[in-house]
Amino acid sequence: MFAIEIKDLTKSFKGLRAVDGLTMKVPVGSIYGFIGENGSGKSTTEKLICGHLVPDGGTIKLFGKDYRDAGVRAKVGALIENAGCFPNSSVYNNLKMQAINLGLKNSDEEINRVLKIVRMEKDAQIKFKNCSLGMKQRVGIAMALLGSPALLILDEPINGLDADGMRIMREILTDITATYGSTVLISSHVFGELEKIATHYGIIKQGKLIREISANEMKRTSKSYILVECDDNKKAIKFLSLKYDGAVSDDYGKLRVYGDEASSDIAEYLLSNGIRIKYLKKNKIRLEEYYLDVMSRKEKC
Amino acid sequence: MDQNQIIFDKPSFIERLKRMLGVDFYRLLHTPVFYIFLAISAIIPAMVLSMTGMSQEGEIAKPLYTETWQMIAAKQPLYVVNDIADYANMNMVFIFGGIMISIFIGHDYRSGYVKQLFTTHPQKQDYMLSKSLTGAFSMTCMCVTYIIGTVFSGILSGTSFEVNVSSLLISILSKMILSLGWAGLYTFINVILRKHFGIAIALSFFIGTGIPVIGAAAIVGNSSLLNLFLYGSSVYACLGSSVTAFFSGAIVSIVWFIFYAFLGSVILSKSDVY
Repeated sequence: MFAIEIKDLTKSFKGLRAVDGLTMKVPVGSIYGFIGENGSGKSTTEKLICGHLVPDGGTIKLFGKDYRDAGVRAKVGALIENAGCFPNSSVYNNLKMQAINLGLKNSDEEINRVLKIVRMEKDAQIKFKNCSLGMKQRVGIAMALLGSPALLILDEPINGLDADGMRIMREILTDITATYGSTVLISSHVFGELEKIATHYGIIKQGKLIREISANEMKRTSKSYILVECDDNKKAIKFLSLKYDGAVSDDYGKLRVYGDEASSDIAEYLLSNGIRIKYLKKNKIRLEEYYLDVMSRKEKC
Repeated sequence: MDQNQIIFDKPSFIERLKRMLGVDFYRLLHTPVFYIFLAISAIIPAMVLSMTGMSQEGEIAKPLYTETWQMIAAKQPLYVVNDIADYANMNMVFIFGGIMISIFIGHDYRSGYVKQLFTTHPQKQDYMLSKSLTGAFSMTCMCVTYIIGTVFSGILSGTSFEVNVSSLLISILSKMILSLGWAGLYTFINVILRKHFGIAIALSFFIGTGIPVIGAAAIVGNSSLLNLFLYGSSVYACLGSSVTAFFSGAIVSIVWFIFYAFLGSVILSKSDVY
């Protein structure tokens, strides 16, 4: 059983296919990083899972049941685009309404619990409209966390947050999955943050899921490379290209040699050609590079 | 949380509706808009009564109302409006109620609150029913403050309180129960026009004024067929009403309420939330 199981999902807006036969599986207990370029269909997919949009075709199952099942839906929390709070009501009143909706018995205790998780226990009486962007995002998370949902769907929750806000958000998400075993579907463009917490990834392009991979699998199979910086990079790349097929200049002014070459061989080769090395390190490609690699391969296809 | 340990308690329809009503009543009682409309409902009869019979360029105008209770309902069910006294009575509460429901539903959508709501278990019919019932409750409350305002302004202006008590009670109760149908209608309008708040509020106001029925009455005359409509039934609940007016009003109100709740639920469930 999967927390989310989608098959051949389609959704069009005025003839334009936003989601085009998407099929994906999100394992229970995972933090699933849902990535893709703007307009690729991430948010539409999330809205379809949340029941905000009516699909044109396909099936969505949550924990093995139809996504409209009231029992399953009661265990879903989401932050889609914004917190969905009344601006003139206090943070507490907004949470209270959602707690009543969820039928929580000890609603005040539950509100205090989620406010503590999002580090806002002292801000309950602030009007929502007076909260900063980071606070609003955290209120949205708190709303979504009420009743300890089994599935949490978060659309760009770290957008616009400062470094501290991102750290807090990261801690919140790892805490709730570790403590409550919730499954998290999170879309984000901030790859650096995402790869610190995600256990699985799904890459979406033009409404289709083009790659689904676990973080472990990605680390295991992704290419490694040697990152090099020399006193004369132009000369270095010329020499490296003669010997190594995978030698390229990257976008950051450094050189990369993809493959399983030994660092010592490359260092020796450069030095023997009179090139001084400033920096040399063996690396594995990171999420962003993996993503770009998958996207470019798909484009070539 | 192991997947085998997750318990999915499916809330029953009654349970869902209770929760939804809990949310809407909590919101209603914690928002100043509700109290503002209660105050407006109390002040309006005082304003109307105090203005009728005011001096106009040295002459005392003929009072529009000879009896205080005309502020609650007209003496006779006249659908064709001849003067303001036939028109300006407790039916005005339905206009205020329409505006209030527009503001409430408009805010649900504009704030994005419906996203939070529909992500969890509430179904579209829960939303329709809850909004309609909360709206009906708020209009009934407005009727109460309107009556209080009428009594106070009647005492202050010294207008007669002479009335057939049973007819007065029938007209008051009829108008209160008609709140249900009106609330269903306004909820339907605002849900259908959820992406067009301005149009929704304007249409609610327009229908609340009863202009469509008044217009129809100008063509067909004071026909009892007009009682099939909410405004017609609201007019029919007058100071000359018998118990028939109450029952016919109750049936009209409940039938329209069910019709709008059903139609709204079907349309909502087949369309995107926003």
